[in-house]
Amino acid sequence: MKALLRGILTGLLIWPLLLAAETAAPPEKGISDDVQTLKQEVLELNRDLFLLEEELLFPSNTQISIFVSMNVGEFFKLDSVKLKIDGKEVADYLYTQRELEALARGGVQRIYIGNLRTGDHELVAFFVGKGPHDRDYKRGTTMTINKGLGPKYVELRIVDQTSNFQPEFEVREW
Amino acid sequence: MPKRLLHFFLFWACLAGSAGSGAVSVKPQEVLDLHYGEVLFHFYQNDYFTAITHLLAAQQQNQLPHHRQEAELLLAGLELSYGMLDQAQARFERLLDQDTDRELRNRVWYYITRIAYQRGRHQQALETLKKIDKPRDRNMRAELALLNANLLMETGQNAEAADVLKHASVPERWKDYLRINRGIALLRAGKIREGQAILDKLGDQRADNEELRALRDRANLGLGYELLRKGDAEQARKYLNRVRLQGPFMQAALLGAGWADTERGDFEQALTPWLALMKLSGHDAPVQEVHLAVPYAFSKIGDNQRAKYFYKQALDFYDREQQYLADAIQAARSGALVALLSQTDNDPETSGGWLNEPPTLENVPSGRYLVDILSGHPFQETLKDYRDLDYLEQLLRNWLKNIGLYHDMVEARRLAYEQRAPRVRQRMEKQEAAALRQRWQHFQDLIQAEHRNGDPLHLATSKEKQQWKTLQEVQEKLAALPAEPRYRKMQQRARWLQGTLYWQIQSDYRARLRNAENQVRELDTLTGEAVTRHTQVNDALADIKAGFDGFDTRIEALRQRILALLPRIDMARRDAGKQLQKLALKELETRRQRLSSYRLQARYALARSYDQVSQQPGVSGDGAQQ
Repeated sequence: MKALLRGILTGLLIWPLLLAAETAAPPEKGISDDVQTLKQEVLELNRDLFLLEEELLFPSNTQISIFVSMNVGEFFKLDSVKLKIDGKEVADYLYTQRELEALARGGVQRIYIGNLRTGDHELVAFFVGKGPHDRDYKRGTTMTINKGLGPKYVELRIVDQTSNFQPEFEVREW
Repeated sequence: MPKRLLHFFLFWACLAGSAGSGAVSVKPQEVLDLHYGEVLFHFYQNDYFTAITHLLAAQQQNQLPHHRQEAELLLAGLELSYGMLDQAQARFERLLDQDTDRELRNRVWYYITRIAYQRGRHQQALETLKKIDKPRDRNMRAELALLNANLLMETGQNAEAADVLKHASVPERWKDYLRINRGIALLRAGKIREGQAILDKLGDQRADNEELRALRDRANLGLGYELLRKGDAEQARKYLNRVRLQGPFMQAALLGAGWADTERGDFEQALTPWLALMKLSGHDAPVQEVHLAVPYAFSKIGDNQRAKYFYKQALDFYDREQQYLADAIQAARSGALVALLSQTDNDPETSGGWLNEPPTLENVPSGRYLVDILSGHPFQETLKDYRDLDYLEQLLRNWLKNIGLYHDMVEARRLAYEQRAPRVRQRMEKQEAAALRQRWQHFQDLIQAEHRNGDPLHLATSKEKQQWKTLQEVQEKLAALPAEPRYRKMQQRARWLQGTLYWQIQSDYRARLRNAENQVRELDTLTGEAVTRHTQVNDALADIKAGFDGFDTRIEALRQRILALLPRIDMARRDAGKQLQKLALKELETRRQRLSSYRLQARYALARSYDQVSQQPGVSGDGAQQ
C-alpha cells in the first residue's frame, strides 16, 4: 500500500504548490512575431486603402466632413445628433455609452463625410438628449457654410456654459 | 516633453490595464487638430486598429501639425495595446531619451516589461527592466518589485528575488503581497525557516477584506503543502487548517489536510476532510484524487467492506470522468473549441482582441474542463492573436470586394471623361479666352493712347457720335449752297450746335476716361482669369487622364498587396489555431493521464482487496468476486 500512497503523493505534486508562481509555458515566439509583422503590414495597407477610398469617394475639392465634440457634458447628456445640409438629412446618429465617454474624454467623432459643390450651403444640426434636471432637451443650430476649393471641416461642439448652467452648441469652421 | 503630454500618457497607461495603483485623474485632452481628436475617439473606445489606421493616415496627410510629438507617443502606446510589442518598444526607444520626464519613461518601460513578462519573453523583460530608473511613485515601486521578483524566480534566482522584495520600499497596502512572494521565494531558495516565518505570520494575521483573506489562504496553503513535502505533517496540518472553507483554496486544503493526517498515521481523522471533499463537483483535481484517497483510508483502518465500496464507486466515477474528458478532447481536436472562441463576444464595432467576458462554453462538450486553460495567459494571448487575425482576414476580404468596385468606379469616370472630353477640347481649341484677352489688350492700348493725345470724341457715346456726324453733314451741305445771308445764319447755327456738342463731350471726358479705365481694369482680372482657367482646364484634361492611370496603378498595387497578405494571414491564423488546440489538448491529456493513473490504482487496490478477502479462511474465490 505504500506504493499506492507514493503514487497518490506523486499526484499531489502536480498541484501548484507555490501558488504565486504562475509559470505556464508562454505562447510560441514564432507565432507572436509573425502576428506582429502581419499586423504592421495590414495596418499600412489599411491606411493606403483608406486614403484611396477617401480620394475616390470624396475628392478634396468637394469633400466636406462634419465632426462632433464635447467639453465636459455635465449639463447635457447627448442621445443623438441629426444633420441636414441644404434641407436634406445626411446623418442621424444615436450614441452608445462608450462613444459618449470617448467624447467626454476629448475624442472627436466624424459624424459625416460627403461631397458638396463650391459655394454657400445651409447646415442644420439638431442635438437631442437630457438637459439640466434630466429634462428632455432638443436644440437646433443653423449656419451657412461656404465650401471653397479643398476639403471643408466643420466642428459641432457641445460646451457647458457655467454662467447659466446650460449647454451651448457651437459651430466652428476649420 | 510637455507636462500635459505626460499626464495624458499616464492616463493612457492607466487605461491600458494597470493594477489601478497609478490612477491619475486627467482633464479631457485639448484637441487642436480635428483628426487627432478622431484618433482619440477610437482609442478611448479601445478600438486600437481603427485608431492606428486613422493616425497613420492623418500623419501621411500632414493633418496633425499641433500634435506631432503626441501623435508619435500615442502611436507607440496604441501599438503596445494592439499587441505589437516589438514595434512599440522600438518607437518608444526613439521617442524617450534622457530629456524625457523620468516618471513617464519609467511607466512606459514598466508596461513594456510587464507585457514582455506576460508573453514569456523573460530576457527581453529583464533588459527593459534595467531602463526603469528609481521611480518616485511608491505604488509603481511596489509593482516593479513584484515584477522583478517574478522575473528572477522565472530564471531560477529565488534568493535574489527574495532580496529584491525585502528591500523594496512600498506603501502599506502592498506589503502583504510582497511578503507572500518573498516567503515563496525563500522556500524555493531552500530557506525554509525564513520562508515559514514570513508565511506563518502572514497566514495568521487579521484580514479586513476578501482580497487579503484570499492572500492569507494562499500563504497558508503554500506553506502547508511545502511542509507536507518536507515530511512535517504536524506543522502542515496546522497551516492547512487555517485555510477558510468558503474560499477558493478550500478543495486543495481539505485534500492536503487529509494527507497530513495519514502521514501522522491518523487515517480515521483523514476521512473527515476527505469525505467532505468527495461531495463536491467532480472535475477539479482534488475531488478526483480524493475518490482514491477515501477507500485507501478505509483499507488502512481495516474497514475492507467500505474500502471496496468506495473503490468501486471510484472506478465508476473515473469511467464517467474519462468519458467527459474524451468528449472534451474530441471537441478540441475537431476545432469546435477554437471556432467557438473566435466567434464569442465579437463586437462588430471593434477589431478582434481580448474576450471581454469569459465564454460560457455551453456548446463545447465537457467545457468545464477547459475553464482553467482558458484563463491561462498563454492561451489568452494566443486566442487574442487568433481573433485579431480573424478580424484582419475579414477586413482584407471586404477590401478585396470593394477594390473591385473602385476599379469599376474609375472605369465609369474614365468613360464619362472620354465622352465629354472631345467636346471640351473642341471648345478649348477655339481659344476664346485668348481672343478675349486680345480684345482687352486693344482697349488697354486705346486708353493708353487717350492718355498720350486725348481726343474727347473718342469717348463720345454712340448717340453723340451720330449727332456729331449729322452736324458735319449739315455743315458740308450748307457750305455747298450759295452765300446768302439766310444760309450763313444756318451755318453759324450748325457750328454753334457742333461746338455745344463738343463742349458737352469734352466736359465729361475725364469722368468717361476714368470710367473706361475702371472697366478695362475689371476686364483685366476677368480676362486674366479666363486665360488661367483655360490653362487649368487644358492641364486638367491631361491630368485627369493621368489620374485615371494613377488610380489604376494604385488599385492594382493594393490588390496585389491584399492578395499577398491573405494567405500569410490564413497560415498564421491556422498556426495560432493549432497552438490553441495544442495548449488545450496538452492540459486535457495531462488530466486524462492523471485520471487513467487514478483508475489503474483504484483497480489494483480493489483487486488486492478481493485477494485479501479470498485468502481469509472460509471465503471462496467466487464470493470474493461478488
